[in-house]
Amino acid sequence: MNTSSSDTGATLTETAAALSPLLDEATERGLKELLEKVAPLIQGRRFHNVVDLLSLASDGVDMFDDAMVQKLMKAYEESVGTAWALGNAARYAQNQAATLPVPTLFGLLRTAGNEDVRRGLHFVLQFLAVLGRQMNNDVEE
Amino acid sequence: MTKHILVVGGGIGGTMTANSIVAKLYPEVARGAVKVTLLSDSPWHYYKPAFMYVAFDMFFEGELRRKQQSLLRPEIDFRVDKVTSFDFAGSKVKTQSGKTIGYDYIVVSTGCLPAPERIPGLKEAGDYFYQQKPALQMAERLRKFEKGRIFITVNFPKTPNVPHQCGIAPVETTLMLDEYLRRKGVRDQVEIVYTYPTVSQLLRNCLFLQQEVCEVMPAIFESKGIKYQRGFTLASVDPERKVATSEEGKEEGFDLLMCTPPIRAVDAVLESGVSQAANNEGWLPTNRQTLQLEGFPNAYVMGDTVDLPISKAGGSCHNQCPIIANNIAGDLRLGRTVDVYDGKVQAVAQMGLEAGMPLWYDYDEDVHPTPPTKVGGLLRKAFNRGIYWSVARGII
Repeated sequence: MNTSSSDTGATLTETAAALSPLLDEATERGLKELLEKVAPLIQGRRFHNVVDLLSLASDGVDMFDDAMVQKLMKAYEESVGTAWALGNAARYAQNQAATLPVPTLFGLLRTAGNEDVRRGLHFVLQFLAVLGRQMNNDVEE
Repeated sequence: MTKHILVVGGGIGGTMTANSIVAKLYPEVARGAVKVTLLSDSPWHYYKPAFMYVAFDMFFEGELRRKQQSLLRPEIDFRVDKVTSFDFAGSKVKTQSGKTIGYDYIVVSTGCLPAPERIPGLKEAGDYFYQQKPALQMAERLRKFEKGRIFITVNFPKTPNVPHQCGIAPVETTLMLDEYLRRKGVRDQVEIVYTYPTVSQLLRNCLFLQQEVCEVMPAIFESKGIKYQRGFTLASVDPERKVATSEEGKEEGFDLLMCTPPIRAVDAVLESGVSQAANNEGWLPTNRQTLQLEGFPNAYVMGDTVDLPISKAGGSCHNQCPIIANNIAGDLRLGRTVDVYDGKVQAVAQMGLEAGMPLWYDYDEDVHPTPPTKVGGLLRKAFNRGIYWSVARGII
């Protein structure tokens, strides 16, 4: 008996082996359930949108490369890290302000002499300087 | 009276656990009832898995480290000081600066150290990628390597059922090596031989430390022309002759010996006298559920320092960290531990230079290997370049 498939040249045994995952009872049951779920979407042409979205996602995967991942992750880490640090500082300061006695004016000045506070103030001034430099409109039209 | 929680070790385990303890116990921390201290021997935090990429010229130093302080919540008292001795019975540690620091709870996350000197000749002739300097040396050797034989060995601890560092790393680097040499255009002049020892935790004569993965490995290696041998337990290396000898009596020549070296706990843990591990390896006897140090309920152990049968990797720390934070909080608030570790470890394995394979396992269930994909590779790259630092901060 000829067991070769006329189109592909594959033997019946090879074809059966290739299809074996589909012949599995659990797979068949799962596919049937899935089809029942998807059928209304296909009938209403709404499944087309899902396929379009998948296609878009697939294009995105194709376009992603090492350089793009590095740039995106740098932006991610910088933004998340900054938000986290600011949130931490605000929470810590809020707790300190709530638990410590309100300082006198002289006490505030003494606090301003603390090295960490001076470093923070220096950061704020440098931050403002960068903003000021970026806002400089002294350019001839 | 203020309770003092001392976290020792500034790797991924210690960093994320210190952050998580502060988050979990924030009401107590805010009113000064709990104080958290982190001790590390370095002001820098290194992303250790990146050393593997350093060996293939894919990561620079500035990209794989951050200032430790920038990864910690401000409530944590961070000190750069190395612990030189643990006194678990007396609940105190001594440090290199001469201080004695007492605690109510301690978390030991001091990692492990490669110990190639434990196999004669391996330190002189072997290359590995588990630390930065050796990884840079390996990168230099690979850069010049154009033909010859690269022999790969994996060395398990002698303590029964304890794995080597990062279970999947030898497979990852073997596949990366194959692709690296192909990109260089010299792969057809290089013979790659991957070997695995006779005893790998509970398995015998396998190619990986879990059966299901072991079964798919031959097909993967054969598709890439990588040769493989079971039952090669490295006994010694002759650096002059460039020959590796196994306990099974085989001799194998090499031009480059890429190894996963023996490992041990850090000196202070070794000398604590608490470990019962074989071969003076120093793994601390750890309760597999609560992660408490056996006999010392106020001490917790995590990461590479445990004597548990799970991977010595960051993916283990990620799942141990919330258990320890919950159990310390439970003990403080209710007088008992409240959480149980199920042995879960997850990771995205780097399968070659581009593809990745997400995986997970626990005490009861092994890894079920899936085909490596580009999406998996992108996820791993995203983790390497950004997500890791969120994990260290305890955000993810």
